Amino acid sequence: MTPRGRFFQRAEIESDWPFQFLVVFIGIVLAMFEGGLALWPSFYGATPMLSLIFLYWVALHHEKYVSLFSGFLIGITSDMLFSDLIGGRATAYIAVVFLMNLRRPKLLQGEFRDLWVEFSVVAFGVVLFQLLAFSALNLAVPALTPVAFQIGVTMILFPIGYVILVALNMAFSRIRTRS
Amino acid sequence: MRASDKAKIRQRRIAHLLLVVFSFSLMFLGKFDLNALRSARMGLNDFVAPFVDLVSAPVRGIETMAQGIRTVASLRAENVRLQAENAMLKRWRRRAEILESENRQLRSVAGAVAPDSRRPLTARAVTAPGGAFAHTVLVANGSDQGIEMGNPVVTADGLVGLVVDVGATYARVLMISDINAQIPVILSSSAWPGVTVGNNGAFLSLRFLPEEAAPKVGELVLTSGHGGVLPAGVPVGRVDMVRDDFVRVRPAVDLRNLAYVSILVGGTEGINLGNLELEDYYTPLPESDETRLFEGVNASGERQ
Repeated sequence: MTPRGRFFQRAEIESDWPFQFLVVFIGIVLAMFEGGLALWPSFYGATPMLSLIFLYWVALHHEKYVSLFSGFLIGITSDMLFSDLIGGRATAYIAVVFLMNLRRPKLLQGEFRDLWVEFSVVAFGVVLFQLLAFSALNLAVPALTPVAFQIGVTMILFPIGYVILVALNMAFSRIRTRS
Repeated sequence: MRASDKAKIRQRRIAHLLLVVFSFSLMFLGKFDLNALRSARMGLNDFVAPFVDLVSAPVRGIETMAQGIRTVASLRAENVRLQAENAMLKRWRRRAEILESENRQLRSVAGAVAPDSRRPLTARAVTAPGGAFAHTVLVANGSDQGIEMGNPVVTADGLVGLVVDVGATYARVLMISDINAQIPVILSSSAWPGVTVGNNGAFLSLRFLPEEAAPKVGELVLTSGHGGVLPAGVPVGRVDMVRDDFVRVRPAVDLRNLAYVSILVGGTEGINLGNLELEDYYTPLPESDETRLFEGVNASGERQ
């Protein structure tokens, strides 16, 4: 059955730009929120990478709304605000989006456990890349306990973040369908 | 596939490649500490910091609430502890008065000059270190309030760090626990000089100590004031562990709980802060092990 709606409705929805902008905006807000989480003594020096969870989820389920540039913008904002290694997370996030473009079809056929394992590898890779770049540029290795803590907490929070994002997505779809 | 589509795909690939190259090269450019990049960063921080503040408001709210609950729960124990601490402080006060008098006399004998006056400026910490790759905080005061690069940042407990970037309304503070922070210090009881070095973790390591120095666990580590950027005598931490040549220092300030800090403005007249690079103003003190840099009476009153 042909979907009915206003005359210009299709043309409005056709453009991905508003959604790409929205993805970048939410990613940046999450990156800022990560900085806010550091105010909690428990997360001092090692906050969970919420923006990575979000980026991974969007790249998996809404690949057309996320581009390499989106990953770059989210990463560079985080770098500028909180890191000594400007461009470190930005480059890593670009790599994540690129990797997800390649792995997406296979991952969507797998179980949630596969997604989780793949995300763990991604989180580990993002931190490892930053660690290697940081060590090479500073000729010093930072304390590794916070690094391990950051990866661990991000991995643990992934299922929670995933469920929340799926729930929000369903609610958002329902609103769109009604309107 | 049409020729125009192929051209589009090629253009997109080139754009992606350029983006990757640009992003990767930013890491190196950032390390060169270029003025343009620094200005861009502080400009962005000035713009974004209020939003970060807004976004982290719920976290702060929850933390305040949790603190309130913890405070109520431990009120009785706290009262007992405070009474004991009060009695001890009274004893220390009497001791301090005696020492102050003695210090005044010694200064007049040695002809020492009193440290330059610095104006404390209270600022709220907007962020806290969120990653393992930088221990910096943004504070809500900038050049509009007279803050300059190199200004020391302290709390009542001791040294937090130094201002390394200044925007109009926000400044970035490099904490003593950062891997780039190297603070010239002395051991309180022996006055041996050394340098504390951060490692982006919870502790600092004390390096460049002369061989004859014998730091003790619990010994206070103070800023030496060498170089004139930092005032002398600000607590940096206490010796926490001594193992062979490795000396670990626990920071005097609980860096995980920074809500407000004091920035010491001024007192650096005669020092060209504009030319200070990170590597330069944390210059290690000892030039050779035989050279004594600090002469006089140590904190225990022994002549050195």
